[in-house]
Formats: sequence, C-alpha cells, structure tokens
Amino acid sequence: MAASLGKGGSVEELILERLDHSGLPADVADLVVASLLGDDDLADALNPEGPKQPVRQLGAQKASEQPAGTYLQSITVEGFRGIGRESALRLLPGPGLTLVAGRNGSGKSSFAEAAELALTGDDKRWSMPGRGVVWRAGWHNLHTAGNSRIAVALMADGQPGVITVERVWQPSARLEDAAVFVQEPGKSRRPLESLGWARPLELYRPFLSYSELGALVAGRPSDMYDALQAILGLDQLIEAERRLADVRMRFDESSKSAARALPTLLEQLRNHPDERARQAEAVLRLRLPDLAAVEALAVGGKADGEGLVGSLQQIASIRLPTAEMVRAAVARMSAIDRKVAELAGTPAADARRVAGLLKTALAHFADHPGQPCPVCGGNMLDETWATGARAVVTRLSKAARDADDAHAELEAATRAVRHLIPAEPGVLSADLGGEIDPAAARDSWQRWATLVDAGTIQQLAADADGVFTSLAAAIGQIRDDAARVVERRMDAWRPVAAALTSWADLARASHRDATTLGHVKKAMSWLRDTGKEVRNARLAPFAEKSARVWEMLRQESNVELGPIRLEGAATQRRVSLDVTVDGVPGAALGVMSQGELHALGLALFLPRATASDSPFRFLVIDDPVQSMDPAKVDGLARLLSEVARDRQVIVFTHDDRLPEALRRLQLPATVWEVVRREHSVVELKKNDDPVTRYLDDARALALTRDLPEQARAVVVAGFCRNALEAASHEVVRARRLAAGARHADVERALGDAHTLHQVFALALFDDAARGDQVSPRLQSKYGQSAAHAFQAAKTGTHETYRGDLVRLVDDAARLAAALRPRLAAR
Amino acid sequence: MTADGMTTRELLGEADLLLTTVVPGTRGRWPRACAWLIRLALEQTLDVYWARVLPQAAECGMRPQLLLLPAYAGKDIAEQAREAWMGLARATHHHVYELAPTAAELRSWHQAVTQLDADLACGQQLD
Repeated sequence: MAASLGKGGSVEELILERLDHSGLPADVADLVVASLLGDDDLADALNPEGPKQPVRQLGAQKASEQPAGTYLQSITVEGFRGIGRESALRLLPGPGLTLVAGRNGSGKSSFAEAAELALTGDDKRWSMPGRGVVWRAGWHNLHTAGNSRIAVALMADGQPGVITVERVWQPSARLEDAAVFVQEPGKSRRPLESLGWARPLELYRPFLSYSELGALVAGRPSDMYDALQAILGLDQLIEAERRLADVRMRFDESSKSAARALPTLLEQLRNHPDERARQAEAVLRLRLPDLAAVEALAVGGKADGEGLVGSLQQIASIRLPTAEMVRAAVARMSAIDRKVAELAGTPAADARRVAGLLKTALAHFADHPGQPCPVCGGNMLDETWATGARAVVTRLSKAARDADDAHAELEAATRAVRHLIPAEPGVLSADLGGEIDPAAARDSWQRWATLVDAGTIQQLAADADGVFTSLAAAIGQIRDDAARVVERRMDAWRPVAAALTSWADLARASHRDATTLGHVKKAMSWLRDTGKEVRNARLAPFAEKSARVWEMLRQESNVELGPIRLEGAATQRRVSLDVTVDGVPGAALGVMSQGELHALGLALFLPRATASDSPFRFLVIDDPVQSMDPAKVDGLARLLSEVARDRQVIVFTHDDRLPEALRRLQLPATVWEVVRREHSVVELKKNDDPVTRYLDDARALALTRDLPEQARAVVVAGFCRNALEAASHEVVRARRLAAGARHADVERALGDAHTLHQVFALALFDDAARGDQVSPRLQSKYGQSAAHAFQAAKTGTHETYRGDLVRLVDDAARLAAALRPRLAAR
Repeated sequence: MTADGMTTRELLGEADLLLTTVVPGTRGRWPRACAWLIRLALEQTLDVYWARVLPQAAECGMRPQLLLLPAYAGKDIAEQAREAWMGLARATHHHVYELAPTAAELRSWHQAVTQLDADLACGQQLD
C-alpha cells in the first residue's frame, strides 16, 4: 500500500475554490470564510461595526510541511502488567515488519500496551470495555516491589539522537499518577506535551489492539464517523458548520425576540390609563411600526404644553411675586399717594395758577410797559414790579413741578401694583382631568384682578395684602396638586416609557439580526452542500485504500466491501459501509464473522494510521490474527509486508500462524518470541523459522553443561524431532497449497499425522500411509546419517541417546535442509 | 528402559530447575526442553509401574498404556495421566501455529506427573 493518503488539496483550498465560483453575495461568502477561520473571526464578521473583511486569510496559517517521520527504537518495560524484571523489545528504527509472538499471558501485549500508554498517557482508554476495571487495578506487576517504568525510545527520520518518552510510577502509585517526561541525550527533561503529539496521536492512532479492532466496526457509528472526519481534515468543516449552526440559533432567537416581546408590551399598554398608551398601541399594531414614533411617545407624548400633562406642568410652574414684594409695592404706592395729597390745596398747589397768571401779566407788561394792572386796575406795572413778579414765577414754577412729579410718581407706583401679578393664566380654565380643582385659585385670582382693576388707591392699600395672601395660598395649593399629579403620572408612565424604548431598540436589533440570519442560513446551506462534495473528494482515496486492504484480506470471504460513505449528521452521523454478501447488497454487518469484522477493522485502521500527515512512521497492532482463518492470515501477511515497505509495522501475535504465513510466502520479517517464566520474568528470543530455531535450541542444549547427560540427551533428541517435524510440515504445506489445496484441508492432513513416520511419509510421498517406506527412502536418497538422525529423533525421547549429541544435531540439520532445499537456500 | 540414567524424580527435579531458574544456554528455549523432561518423567513413571504390575504393557505404545491404566490404577489416576500426556504430547510435537508452552502449563503438568509418580509408587493395585 502506498503510504500517503492522497490529499487532493486541503479542505480550505477545496472550499475556497468552490466559493470563488459560487456567486454568493459578499456578505454570505465572508461568513463562510470566517466560519472556517474560527469563532473570533466569525464574531467579527457578524459584528456590524467590525471590519468588513476577515483580517486573517484562509490558508495563511498552514505550513503544509510533512512532519519528520518517527520510528520506534525500543520499548522497555519494568514492573508493568505481565512484566516484572526489566525487559526490552529492541526494534530496528525504520520501515520493516516485526512480529512479536508469544502465548497469551507471555507478556507480549504488555509491550504493546506500554508503548501506547507511554505515548498517549491516556489512562482513560484503559477503562474501555474489554480492558476494564481489572486492568486498571492490575496494571502494576505483582512480582515487582520497586518502581514501575515504561519507556519508549524513538528516532525521528533525518534527525540525530534518540527521544525517550518515559513514565515512572512509585511503588504504590495509581495508574494516573506517573511521572512523565521526554528525554533526549544531552538535554534536560521536558514534558510530554512539548512533543506536540496529542492531536496526531488522536488523529492517526498508530496503536490498534484486538478489542479495538472489533470495536472499530462494531462500535458506535458516530465514533467511526468522527474518527474519519478528523483524519480527512474534515473536522475543520464540521467546526465551521457547528459555528454557523450556533450563530444561526442565536440569530434565529434574537430576530424573533421583538415579535416575541410585543404581546407583553401591548398588554402593559392596554392596562395603562395614560393617553400616550393608546397612541402607542395604535402605532405598535401596524405591521412595521414607526420606531421613532414609539420612542417619541415614550419620552413625553405630544409637544410641550399640549395635553393634560402639559397643562399640569404649566400649573405646576405658575410663579407669583413674594408677599414682601407685594407689600413693598403697595406701601410705596400709599406713600406717594400721601405725598400727592399733601401737595393738593397747599400754596404749592396755587403756585401753578399764580405762576401762570404772573407769566401772562409779564407777557402783557412786555407789550405794554408802564400800564396799570389790567386785573386790578391799581398799581402800575413797571420794572420794579416785573423784577418781583419774575422771582415769584421762578419760585412758583418749581413748586408746580414738584406737584407734577408727585402725580407722575403716584401713577407709576399704582401701575406697578396693578402689574405685580399677570392676568390669570388660561391653563386654569383648561380641562384638568378632574384630578385637581382650580376653582379656589381662579376665584382668588379674580378677586385680585378686580381689586387692582377697579379699586381706589385707598382700597388697594387696604386690601391688597389680604387678597394676595389668599391668592398665594390658593396658587400654592393648586401648584402642589398639579405637581403631584404630574409626578404620579410620570411614575406610572416611566416603566412603560422604558419598555417602549427598549422594545424599539430590540426591534431594530431584531430587524438587523433577521437580515444577518438570512446570510447565515445561506452560508450554512452552501457550506453543507459544498461539504458533501468536499467530503467525498477527501474520502475517495481513503475509501480506495480501505477497499484495497479488504481485497487483500478477504481471500475466501464471500463478503464484498463497496464504497465507504459518511452519512447523516449530528446524532445520526455514521459511516456507511456498503457490504455485499454473496452478491446480495445492503447486508448488515451482523452476517460477518468475527474474523471478517476484524479484517474490516484493519481495512479502516490502516489508511488512517498510514496517512502521510502523520508524524508516526510506526504502527503497533496487537493480535490482528485472532479469529482469522488461515486464508485471511495469508492476506494479512501480504498486506502487512506491503505496509512495512515504508512503515515500521510491529505486530503482536499469540500464535505462530502469521510468522508461518510470512515464512511460507517468503516475506521478510523479524520475529521475536516472548516467553514468560514464573515470577513474571519475561525473555525475548529472536525467532527464525521453526526448523532453524529447533536446531539452534538443540545445539545450544547439547552444549549446556548445566544439565545432566541424560536430560540433555532427551531434550536434544526432542528438539531434533521437532525440527524434522517442522521441516516436513513446511514441505507438505508448500507443496499442497501450491497445488491449490485449501488451507483447512492441508492442516487437517498434517494434524492427522501423529507419528514421525507418518509425518515423514507425507513429506516424502505425500501419503501418510507409506510410513514403512520412510526409512528405506531416507537411506537411499539422503544417506546413512539421515536415516540415523531420523531414527535417533524418533527413539531418543524415550530412550537415552548414547551418541554424540552435537553430531546428532548436525545430521538432523542436514536432513532438514535436504527436505526443504528451497527454504534452506534463504 | 530406565535401567540407566536418571530417575523420574531426578527428571522432574531438572524440569523444575528449568522452570524456576535461569539455566545458562536455555534462554528462551527452556519451555520445550522442560516439556520434554516432564514427558520423559511421565513415560518413566508408567514404565516403572508396568514393570511391577503388568510387564508386557510397557512394550506397548503410550496410547494402549493409557487405555489399560484405569483398570489397574483406578479411574482418577488414569485420568490425571491421560490429561498430562495429552498436553505434553502436544507441547513436544511441532505444531504449526503453536508457540512454546507457558510456564503455567508446564507447572500444572509438572505437578500432575509428580503426583502420578507418588500415587503409582504406592503400589496400590486396584482390581
């Protein structure tokens, strides 16, 4: 399988490209871009005062550089799960296939789990079904008293140095209480987060366990959907859609809020006595209310001075002079009057007349000097008389002016009193709504008016104070009353005014929001439609890979895997697997066997874990072989070895089926066998093909001086026998499978061959019944030593072999090599 | 067949050594070696028993011996012997796809054969 998941452009690029040709209005297109950028950008785009264009440009923050590929170099485990004393699995940090085989309970899975836990630190994962509480409680190895420790050493492609991620627990610590750190040679420890792998680990999950394999397909459909979304980079799209959906909900709400608040407001108005309420009701019942009119009503109704409130406000603002002012004016008038009265009838009063008479006489004298007085006919009017008369005129004229001044003064003082108080304001006769009575005020005012209009100065002087005092009292009263009523009405109106004002604001906002809502809806609908196209465009290469994986794994399965699709949305989202059984489409996954489900799980896992964007160049797969039939195992062997061309593939397996398939198909792989002693002592041993391994074992034991002679003889013979059995099996299997036999049939034939004779008869003659011909054939075809090795292997496990043990192993090795020349040549 | 070499008990002792300690040169290969030793111990136990009880039975293969055993040693002992043998035979033959026996399996066979050796040595002949 090619390593990279074809990208076909980033999601952003795909969307922008389509946006250019969408013909969407600029406002809507801006929303689409902003929704892809993030919450803040979207908020800015929605803010009417905000910048019109998103500040950030899509794609600007992406440096689409491929991360350095990371390979595993070793997994070291101590006191964790099935492993007690420190044990390390050493790996070649580069592409290639490594198998770790071990019986269940051998501790092999502890390595897989340690690697995953060390890197992900996600101890929550361990509580998932299939791992369970027992796991959480029993993670600490029972045979370890000291610290527990897991460490993963990694090497990044093209970078020197080993990165070690380590997790250490104190003896009584809980699983989640580990000390975690990253260590590079010559550098100080740093936190795991500094690697920035949290997100990639989630996205590309290079770890797959047996229980997950099933869960991948059988788990919640939405989980698979989410996993695929994320891996395809579609989460950005999802986020954008979510952002718009949130916004739409908000705007949907706010665009309706004015209409929603209207009935309450109308109810409030209906029950209000103020006449402005009637007017407001009338305005608000229109389909598109005039909001300015509503606000004008709120602040005061009609223009100033009109209406009842206006009248009352006028009354409340009536001002009178103070009693002192009135008293002073009247006193001044009286004083002047007295002065005038004093002047009247005094010589000063006659003066005017006499002065006039003398002025006339002087004029007469000027015309007729030296004549007797025409008035009395007595004295001569001469110069002497004239001089005297002129002095008298001057004196009398002054006295007359004084009298004139006093009159004028009196007139002014009287006018001042009359004008002290203006005419009765018209507002006192206006409709005052019955809440206040203006009668007393008007009456008092009338009396004052009558007094100043018709009264003599003496009457004014006598009554002004009393009349004014009662007027002032009446006006004071009505003014207070009016002010109180105004205050009361304002108090009653104030909440309504506030309600009207805020509703007007709300209505304006709602209107604006309704416009925005329209844009958001358009943006959403466009993004949804475009999302479908983009999704499929992104999914296609992934689905192709899955289909290809499935093709390799299905082998004899009658199940066909059609296109993979992402369907539904929200809680209904799921991955649709088009499964066809025996050509019947639409079959449920339930018809698939466990092995098929696991194969399907792998088909979905591998494209994800091998995505080119992943920084991980390794995959750890725990026991994919369980419940697979032999044919599928062959497919798996081919598949893994193909993936291993450019990925480091580490597969943990509980039996020898996968190693056997790899050997038989001559696919390169490194095989480790994990063996666990009592007390959790775990040993790892390079595991070549079984024939070589048995012979190595035999040779090693032949040389061991720590075992008694007889024990050694038995064991060496036993291993030689195993080697010959294994070689024969290989020969039979290769021959029959090449001839087209079914795996199951071949295995049955081998299983039925119990004795070494039968096994060799199968290998030599392809017929288990020809056991009696085995020895002669070995003798003739492979020579004396071959026949001897065969015989020793057969009886040596019961009877002590007396010959040279090393020689026996050599003979057995030669025989095994002769039996399988093709394999021995490797 | 047991005239020379080790006794059943010695064989079991060696097997125990492989199981519990690290014997040089047996790293990773001790499980099958251990199985071979326990298997031989089982064969030997039966050989000794038959020599006393029914000499001609020792000449037969293991299957006939196990078929005869209930009649001579009782059902329980025979059942124990049969189970141990099945496990050991499987572990000591090359079986495709199968890995070496586990420590736990070896321990249980070891115990079964030790018990069997003791039971059969009591010489209780039930008929």
